[in-house]
Amino acid sequence: MKWKWKRHRPTPQDLDDELQSHLEALRQERLDRGDSPEAAARYAHQHLGNRTAIAEDVHQVDPWSPFANALYTLRMAARSVTRHRKTTGPATAILSLGIAMSVAMFSLVDAVLLRPLPFPRQESIEVIWKVDAQAGHYIEELAYPELRDLQDNIRDLEYVAVMPTSLYGYARVLQHQGREPVQIESAPVSHDFFRVLGVEPALGRNFRASDERVNAAPVVILSDRVWREHFNSDPHIIGRMIRLNGDGNTVIGVMAPGVDFPRGAGFWRPLGIDRNIVERRNATYLQAIARRRPGSSHAAVERQIDSLFQRLANQYPQFYSPSQRASVMTLPVYWTGSSRPQLWILLGASILLLTASVLSAGILILSGVVARRIELATRIALGAARWRILTQLAAEGGFIAITATLAGSALSLLALPLLTRWAPADIPRVSDAHLDPAALTFAVAAAILAAIVCTLIPAGSALNQPLEPVLREGSTRSSLSRSGLRTRNWFICAQATVAALMLALAGLFVASYHALSTADIGFAHRDTLTFNLALHGPGPFGAGTYSVGARRAFYNELLHRLRETPGVLSAAAILVRPLEGPIGWERDYEFAFEAGKQTDRVLPKANYESITTGYFATVGTPLLEGRDFNDHDVEGSPSVVIISQSLARRIRAAGHSPVGHQLRFGPSLPWLTIVGVTADARYRNIAQQDADLFVPAMQAQPSTPYLVIRGTQSTTELAKLVRRTLAQLDPSQAAAREATLGELIDANTARNRFHMILLLAFGAAALLLAATAIYGVIAELMSARRQEIAIRTALGSPRARLMRDMIRSTLLFAAVGALAGTSALLFLRDHLTTLLYAITPTDPTILLSSAAFVLVVNLAAACWPAWRAVDRPRIDFT
Amino acid sequence: MPDDKPPVDILQGTLNMMILRVLLPGPANGYEIARSIERRSDDLLQVEQGSIYPALRRLETKGFVEASWKTSSTNRRARYYRLTRTGRKQILAEQSRWKTLVHAITRVMRPAE
Repeated sequence: MKWKWKRHRPTPQDLDDELQSHLEALRQERLDRGDSPEAAARYAHQHLGNRTAIAEDVHQVDPWSPFANALYTLRMAARSVTRHRKTTGPATAILSLGIAMSVAMFSLVDAVLLRPLPFPRQESIEVIWKVDAQAGHYIEELAYPELRDLQDNIRDLEYVAVMPTSLYGYARVLQHQGREPVQIESAPVSHDFFRVLGVEPALGRNFRASDERVNAAPVVILSDRVWREHFNSDPHIIGRMIRLNGDGNTVIGVMAPGVDFPRGAGFWRPLGIDRNIVERRNATYLQAIARRRPGSSHAAVERQIDSLFQRLANQYPQFYSPSQRASVMTLPVYWTGSSRPQLWILLGASILLLTASVLSAGILILSGVVARRIELATRIALGAARWRILTQLAAEGGFIAITATLAGSALSLLALPLLTRWAPADIPRVSDAHLDPAALTFAVAAAILAAIVCTLIPAGSALNQPLEPVLREGSTRSSLSRSGLRTRNWFICAQATVAALMLALAGLFVASYHALSTADIGFAHRDTLTFNLALHGPGPFGAGTYSVGARRAFYNELLHRLRETPGVLSAAAILVRPLEGPIGWERDYEFAFEAGKQTDRVLPKANYESITTGYFATVGTPLLEGRDFNDHDVEGSPSVVIISQSLARRIRAAGHSPVGHQLRFGPSLPWLTIVGVTADARYRNIAQQDADLFVPAMQAQPSTPYLVIRGTQSTTELAKLVRRTLAQLDPSQAAAREATLGELIDANTARNRFHMILLLAFGAAALLLAATAIYGVIAELMSARRQEIAIRTALGSPRARLMRDMIRSTLLFAAVGALAGTSALLFLRDHLTTLLYAITPTDPTILLSSAAFVLVVNLAAACWPAWRAVDRPRIDFT
Repeated sequence: MPDDKPPVDILQGTLNMMILRVLLPGPANGYEIARSIERRSDDLLQVEQGSIYPALRRLETKGFVEASWKTSSTNRRARYYRLTRTGRKQILAEQSRWKTLVHAITRVMRPAE
């Protein structure tokens, strides 16, 4: 006979079969002796011994332990978890949800706030401008000569460059190989710009000093995106001429992918090629960026720059006010700017939610273990080692945690694309968010810790109890459940705290969003369509760059043709359309009544707009007093201005009538007569109310590149009409950034909406978790005390009172938690104030009602199982 | 009350030795090994038969025995063990150690003179 002798490890199944075969042999032996089958079976079992014990002993011998031990324990844990799925199932689900949400949020925050920009040593890149406390909250920009000041005086800066503070007005129309002309944003930068960032072009060369001489030949470096989209990734692009606004520009480089700074820049070009810019100290529209030398500190550089600006103010009193201070921030801070606090709050909220889900899962697991005390006690009585039971329970906790982590990560993978698509587009780098290993590690650690702690604490107390009473009590589990109750009540309290805190937070943001979306922002016509026209280059109205006259003629003709078209109600043009972002023109002004009373440099500022006739009617800003501009307000006729209500209020407060009063944009500038007062409108930001000054386009130098149009046709038809009319007038022009006022408003409130909805979802989830937890605890309590309930009912105890007795202590914990949660919000109030619109973070109605709501939900969740228990008491006669 | 550690079988070493010895004539399954130990000791040693399995595993791990599934004489599937070459050598070593031990214990236990 040929046998196949094995020397590898026998499986547990081998042992099982082997023992079974042994048992059969023993049984057969007795049967052969004439025993009854029962007696034979009994003998066989007695003689072989306890099969489980044998299996455990054999397992101990296994040379593969501890590895196999762990595997075996885990497999046993999996079996036990599946068997107790009534408690472990919900616990796992809750943990998964918590992990999914917090991991997704962490990844988002990580992408936006924590992940490095694509620049080496980004924390040593500084963004520099000035602030002037006496001129309000406005930042003061720099002029080109200050580049040299910084380069020559601050030794700690390795490279310094200047760039405009916004891309507004730098779009260029690209005409490439007969394609439709497109607008591309450009960034004029001084030649060390990329050296400051620490990046090099992927193709071609960087800017050199010689590219930035006055009247140097125009060169550009394309962004990777523009190179791909508009030039088909042409590898031979270097040295080629491209037509921008009709002028030839030589492509000298293509930037490395991922360099999107300033955001949206399609190409970069040298800044200092115009004598007017290079030499004038009062052409302030720039910010500096600089790379610190290794070893220098941010604070030291800030001090040096600040004292430099002070010296310059003394040296050039005609240009700088002595109250100007340096504002220096590192690039990452500048980059993420205003989205920082919100994202931190969201991250905090998601961590709270993770905590809540860990607590909830903990309560469920705790209940499960408490219910299993008899099983545990029995196993101990039968000789199982305590450490083995503890290991087993910890493994069960670990198993739940691992399952939850896997499910949660999968969920967050699904949730992340949703979040990023749904997130407001103006949060930088949000689309870079991906599942983050650090976030996963954090969540896994939290889940495992939670699961293990939640299994070990009750197990420890279960194991340390004397076995006898536990076993004698049998199925009446009152004392068992009661001893775990205190722990669970604290869990309930913590749950209620989290739920109330999150709900109150969500409530504040909902109220804030409501206030924002119902605020009168001064634009009644949401359907008004707006465009940006980059009006440059040769066209029927003049060669080269448009002169002021040619530009005015162009707009007059365009608006005239549009207004003549059937279906168009009104059309106009403006310098910067509403809600275009934080950009716009701020101008000093002074009224006649206050002229001369103020020192030169600290005039108040207001939003400055140049508009054509019919603008107010198109966007729906009511004229409260006086008249709108008309066709007689042209160059040569008296200079006029329209002011917004908040400015008019200042004039009235001084005892004058606004209409007919005069203002000027500086002491040396001519007076303008106020002819009208409009309602206040919000041009920069929906949450920010500023003063506005409007001048007629026919009397002003600045262009009016934004077209606004309103009609009875659909916006699609209107857009087509505008493009058609534009093409007829001048086929080299491009209309870009089409958006209705409604879309601009929505985009402006998108962040608030995003935060509100997320917080609301988090709050609801936390509340649900709290309710589930309290329901679970009360239901467990009720089943443990059903004997007592039955007896008390039989003795005539009123149901309501019975119920109250049962849930009172647990509810008390919940109430304490709810109050604690809302009070916790008071500690956050300073951080919240800036994020809320028209709502104070301590709004008592919201705080109290969220606490009350949490309590009511908890009450309902507690009453349901309690009522079922007292309504139909069941007695176990076992 | 059970101890926190698994109970140490005082016969562990001897059981190993006995199993090896029982396997010397030829392969046997667990049941046969247990019976054979009982029979050879004139039923003086009544082992809880299951306890031979941990010992068998230990021997298997050390490479003294190897195992294979086959059909037994009573037409039942059973796992059969046989001595390996090292196992045979081990019997000699164990035997001499046992003899020394028995000799030593006998000397200790003999009546005082």
